[in-house]
Amino acid sequence: MYWTGLSPDEARQYLANKDKSKRDKRMSLKEAVERFVKDGDNIGIAGFVNGRQPIAIVHEIIRQGRKDLTLSYQSAGLAIEYLAGAMVLDESKNSIKRMELAYWAHEAFGISPLFRYLAENSKVELEDWSNYNMSARFKAGSMGLPFIPCRSPLGSDMLQRNRAKVIDCPFTGRPIMLLPASHPNVALVHVQEADIYGNCRIQGPLYTCPEIAMASAHTIITCERLIEHEEMTRYPNRISIPFFAVDAVIEVPFGAYPGNCHGLYYFDEKHIPEFRAACEKFRKGDPGPLKKYYDTFIFGVENTAEFIDKIPFSQIQYVQKIESGIRLEAGYTVLG
Amino acid sequence: MAKYSTDFTTQEMIVVAGSRTLEDNKVIFAGTGLPMVAITLAQLTHGPGIVPVFEAGAVGPELSRGLPLSVGDSRTTYRANYLLGLNSAFELTQRGFADIGFIGGAEIDPYGNLNSTMMGDFPDGYQKPKTRLPGSGGASDMACSCERTIIIMVHEPRRFNEKLNYITSPGYLDGSPNARWRAGHVGQGPYRVITTKAILGFDDETKRMKLIATLPGETVKSVQEATGFELIIPGDVYEFEPPTVEEIRLIREVIDPKGYFVKKKIKD
Repeated sequence: MYWTGLSPDEARQYLANKDKSKRDKRMSLKEAVERFVKDGDNIGIAGFVNGRQPIAIVHEIIRQGRKDLTLSYQSAGLAIEYLAGAMVLDESKNSIKRMELAYWAHEAFGISPLFRYLAENSKVELEDWSNYNMSARFKAGSMGLPFIPCRSPLGSDMLQRNRAKVIDCPFTGRPIMLLPASHPNVALVHVQEADIYGNCRIQGPLYTCPEIAMASAHTIITCERLIEHEEMTRYPNRISIPFFAVDAVIEVPFGAYPGNCHGLYYFDEKHIPEFRAACEKFRKGDPGPLKKYYDTFIFGVENTAEFIDKIPFSQIQYVQKIESGIRLEAGYTVLG
Repeated sequence: MAKYSTDFTTQEMIVVAGSRTLEDNKVIFAGTGLPMVAITLAQLTHGPGIVPVFEAGAVGPELSRGLPLSVGDSRTTYRANYLLGLNSAFELTQRGFADIGFIGGAEIDPYGNLNSTMMGDFPDGYQKPKTRLPGSGGASDMACSCERTIIIMVHEPRRFNEKLNYITSPGYLDGSPNARWRAGHVGQGPYRVITTKAILGFDDETKRMKLIATLPGETVKSVQEATGFELIIPGDVYEFEPPTVEEIRLIREVIDPKGYFVKKKIKD
């Protein structure tokens, strides 16, 4: 079997040797990316389409430059579009080698221009799965199982393009799919709240974030706010990712902007189309606007705070104002 | 005031047709785009008891905080009855909790199989498609494991083909007897195809697509001409009731005032 990232046995061995202590994991995003994201890695991208995508982490990866990446995700939008944009502008600095995916587009905001560009020019190796397939693959990884049975999509041409196997169920005798576990080298996850040890409290849909974090060898967490450990452990049921699955914790407000972060900000319906339009122009042969976008918002800044500084305050206020999710619970934050 | 609208668009018509096809008190697993609009319209008209499920995790929310722009966004979670993640949502379909999967696609064949992956030569040209589409998302999971599926499509000859470029979401597969059962599916397969021109279903025996009703302004002939394969035309095809003034008002003023899904052309 061809494993991307870690094989189940390697993943088990990796944890056996890992320091699982409850220690302060705060560091700069720059340091986290330097330490845990390597050329050639299989990266698990958390979030769902443009909800809680790890945008801040992806921007930092682009600034540092990483090559030959395999990206694993169910449905994604902006995080992949940003990595792809960096690749098409300078393939010697950033590149995606392979994607194991169910969907890459932006739903109401339209299709992904750079997916069309990369796929139609054979620039990336693709493995097609369904949303449930990718989520179940991460779940198998998080359960410590080499595969997981699944009922869909039997009869689909995807089975010719992925590593799933169909067997007759040993108990019912009917056909069933077996999906290989996914163990990325590193998971990139953005959450609303974390403590300094890495315990995470996710609000709104969990997507597949807990499974991706638990399945991966390393996990980088960015959070909207760091809260006191005592605050976090008042509600143990609400902890979706436990500390020992996490390697780095960075407080990055607006770390999923211009996407949606439940309870804090809705999609920026102005900025997303601006970025997407620049990608579409690239696809149609004009790299100028995309280059300008990167020079302004990614290479021209050091971090997410400087990126957000470039967005008019009224626009930021608006995405907070129209967010329909429940505001975060009161609680003591960790002072910077 | 007149009961029926006279200035509706084809996109609005499709939403109305989709909405009227949904029964009250059913669990509807919602794909992105027009299905979300149709479910909201149904909830506001005849189906207040409809239970929407969104694949990113939300079960049974009230869709009254603005039209979701994503099946995973905050607006899908308002007063939800259950909220975890993708695995839990798709597990519901396998277990049998989802009565209807409501999905779209770029291309369909006579047996209700859908393509949302690529246009071009498959399998040989897979790594160099003519057009790469976004991919399955959760549609293929819904197509396999929801009890029935309702498909919503733009009706154009190039989208209705005897043979698909790529089967993403299985319908009745090759149409042979018990094809779905033999493939291992738990759901019963496509129930309706709602298009910009017609309401279609499937023949009980052959599993091929049949015409049920023509939408206002269309005829049996115009529907057949816009379909890249031969439809079964039963004797009892009827004309679908036009959208009411109230249905159109709800779409324009309440559900999608910014025209995110309804006025937009579906591009290839």
